[in-house]
Amino acid sequence: MPRVKIDGTEYEVEDGRTILQALDDLGLLMNGVDVPHYCWHPKLPVDGSCRLCQVEVDDIPKLQIACNTPIRDGMEVRTQSDRVADARRGVMELLLVNHPLDCPICDQAGECKLQDYAFDYGVKHARTRDPRRPAQKAVELGPEIVFDQERCILCRRCVRFCRDVTGTAELGVFQRGDESLLETFPGKPLDNAYSMNVADICPVGALTTRDFRFKIRVWFLDDVDSVCNQCSNGCNISAGRAHNNVYRFTPRRNDDVNDTWMCDAGRLSYPALREGRLETAQLRGRSVAFNEAVAAAGAALRETREAGGRIVGIGSPFAPNEDLFTLRELLGAVGAGPGLFSVPLGAGDDILIKPEKAPNAAGARALGFVESGDVGDAALAIVLGHAAAGDALSSVENVILIDTHDSALASRAMVALPARTFAERAGTFTNHAKRVQRFLPFLEPRFEAWAEGDILTRLAASAGLDTDAWDVNAVSKRLSQEVPAFEGIDLDSVGDRGLELR
Amino acid sequence: MQPETRQKIEALFEQYPEKRGALLPAIYLVQAEQGWVSAEQAEALAELFDLKPIDVWEVLTFYNMFYTSPQGRHHVYVCTNLPCSLRGARGLLKQIEAHLGIRAGQTTEDGRVTLGHEECLGSCGTAPVLRVDGRYCENVDAQEARRLVDALE
Ligand code: SF4
Ligand code: SF4
Ligand code: FES
Repeated sequence: MPRVKIDGTEYEVEDGRTILQALDDLGLLMNGVDVPHYCWHPKLPVDGSCRLCQVEVDDIPKLQIACNTPIRDGMEVRTQSDRVADARRGVMELLLVNHPLDCPICDQAGECKLQDYAFDYGVKHARTRDPRRPAQKAVELGPEIVFDQERCILCRRCVRFCRDVTGTAELGVFQRGDESLLETFPGKPLDNAYSMNVADICPVGALTTRDFRFKIRVWFLDDVDSVCNQCSNGCNISAGRAHNNVYRFTPRRNDDVNDTWMCDAGRLSYPALREGRLETAQLRGRSVAFNEAVAAAGAALRETREAGGRIVGIGSPFAPNEDLFTLRELLGAVGAGPGLFSVPLGAGDDILIKPEKAPNAAGARALGFVESGDVGDAALAIVLGHAAAGDALSSVENVILIDTHDSALASRAMVALPARTFAERAGTFTNHAKRVQRFLPFLEPRFEAWAEGDILTRLAASAGLDTDAWDVNAVSKRLSQEVPAFEGIDLDSVGDRGLELR
Repeated sequence: MQPETRQKIEALFEQYPEKRGALLPAIYLVQAEQGWVSAEQAEALAELFDLKPIDVWEVLTFYNMFYTSPQGRHHVYVCTNLPCSLRGARGLLKQIEAHLGIRAGQTTEDGRVTLGHEECLGSCGTAPVLRVDGRYCENVDAQEARRLVDALE
C-alpha cells in the first residue's frame, strides 16, 4: 500500500486512490485536513471542473487538483501553503463573478459551501464592473426541485447524479463559456424517485426542494440520527428538528446501506409522524384515560387466560426489535403460539427502494414471527399496528390494539392504546440485509403515548404476569443474550452505522 | 429524421473508431433537413448513437454552428472576441442591428436574416470578421457590412 505525506504527516492509503479519496477514506477530509472542493463528491465520478481543490504535489511547478490526482508511493502533498491559499482565493473570485450573493434570502445560507469558503478565502470586494450575467430565479425543474439559475456554480454534481446514480439523465449544462447554464432537456422535467438528492449535493443554494424551501433557517435545526421506516432498506437519515417539530429528513451517509442518498418518498414521509395519530386511549370506541384502558385490557387478558380461551399476537414490521421481543415474551408467558405479522408490499428498484414497505420485517422474522397463520377462533388478540391486521380480526371478540395511528380497527377494538412512533423513542430496526440499525428520539409526543414494549409490559403486569425483566434496557440486553441472531447486538453496540445479525 | 439522413449517418459510423465520434457530422446532416435541430430530432440522434438525449443537446448547444430553433434563410455572425472588438466589432454589430431592426440572436420578420455574435473565428489578423452563411468576410467596415447584408436575398 502506497505511503503519502500530507502536510507533514505520513499515511498509508489504499492503491489507486486520488488525494481526496484517500483523505475521505482516512476520515480526514474537512475534518483535520482542509481541502475545499465543490465538484468532487465521494459517491460520484470525478469532474474536475471547479478547480478549488488545488494542492501542491512534490515539486510539480503547477498546483494539482486533489480530486483527480492519484496517489503514488512516496508522494508529498501540501494543502495549506500560501500558494494554495492564493489559488483558492483566485478560484473563489471567479466563481463569485456571476453569483448574486443573496444569502439573506437564500435557503442554503448556513450550510452553503460557497458562503463558507467565501468567508475563508474570498475577497471582500468585487473587482468586476460588468453587470452580473442575468439568469432566471425559481425555475421549476420538476415536481420536487426548484432551481435558482443565477446561484449555480456549474459544478455538475446534479448532472452526474442523474446520469450515474439514477441513470435518468434529465439534467445537462447547455451553451458554453460564461453563457453555460444548467437546464433540463426541452420538455423533460427532473422527475425520478430520487430527484430530491440533488438539493443535498448542490453545494450552493441553486437547487432547493419545494418541500423545505423557506420553511426555517437551517441553524435552528438540530440533526438527530434516525432510520427511514418506509421500506426495508432502512436508509440512514438525519431528522432536522426544531421546536418539537421535524422540518425535513436528509440522508445520512452509510456506505453499507444508502451511500449518501435516500428516495423522495422516504424523505417526504415525515408529515405522517404528526398526521392521523391515535391520540387518546379508547375503550370500545370511547376515549378513556390511558390507565383505565390498560386496566381493562389487563383484566380481559387475565380472564381469557383463566378461561382457557385462545390468545393470538400480531406483531408489526413497523415495530422495533425490542418491542417485538417484548411481545414475544408476553405471548410465551400466556402460552400463545408464535406471533403473526404481514408486510405491506409495493414496487422496488435496484438502487435503494425495496418492495417490502416496512422497516423491520427481517427483525420480525428473526424473532420468530411468522407470516402465515390463522386468527380463526381466537378469543383475544394483542395487535401491534393496524396495517398488518387487516380484516382477519373481524371474528375476534376482544382486540387489544397498540398503535401509532388511528384506524377503523381502533374504534372497533375492545381497547386501543396510543403508541409512540419511531420518532418519539429509541430502538432498532433490522433491514432487508439483516443489518440492525438504531434510531434515536427526536420528538416529544404531544399526548400520552408510550413505546409498544412499555405498553405491553404494563398490560402484562396488570394481567398479573411477572414483568421484572421487561424494561427497555433489560429487554435490549436480553434480546442480545437470548436470541442467537441478535448475539452481541444491543442499543449501545449497534452505534450509528448498524451491525449485521449473526 | 428522414430515412436518407439516417442511412448517411449509419454510413459515417465506419469512418470513426468509436460511433460517438461521428456525432458532429451527423448533426450537420440532420440540421440540413430544416436548417435547425429540434428536440425530437435530437432524441432520434441519441437513439442512433446509444447516447442520452441530454448528451446530444449539450453538444448541440455548445457549438454555435448548430441551431435549436428555426433560423432565417441567411446567417450573419459578427465576431465580438477581443481582437475584433478592439477593431470596432461591437459598434459594427450595433450598426447592423439598427440596419436590420433586430437584436443579435433574432431573425428578421420576413425570415430573411438571422443575426448573431460569436467568439473567435480564428482570423484576428483581418479583424473585424463576419461570418455570412459560412463564408468569412474580413476587414469589414460599416459600409461593407451594410452592402453584405443587403445583398442577401
Ligand atoms: S445546480 Fe448546484 S449541483 Fe447543479 S451544477 Fe449548479 S451548483 Fe452544481
Ligand atoms: S429507499 Fe426505503 S428506506 Fe430508503 S428512503 Fe426510500 S423508503 Fe426510506
Ligand atoms: S473538487 Fe477538484 S476540481 Fe472540483
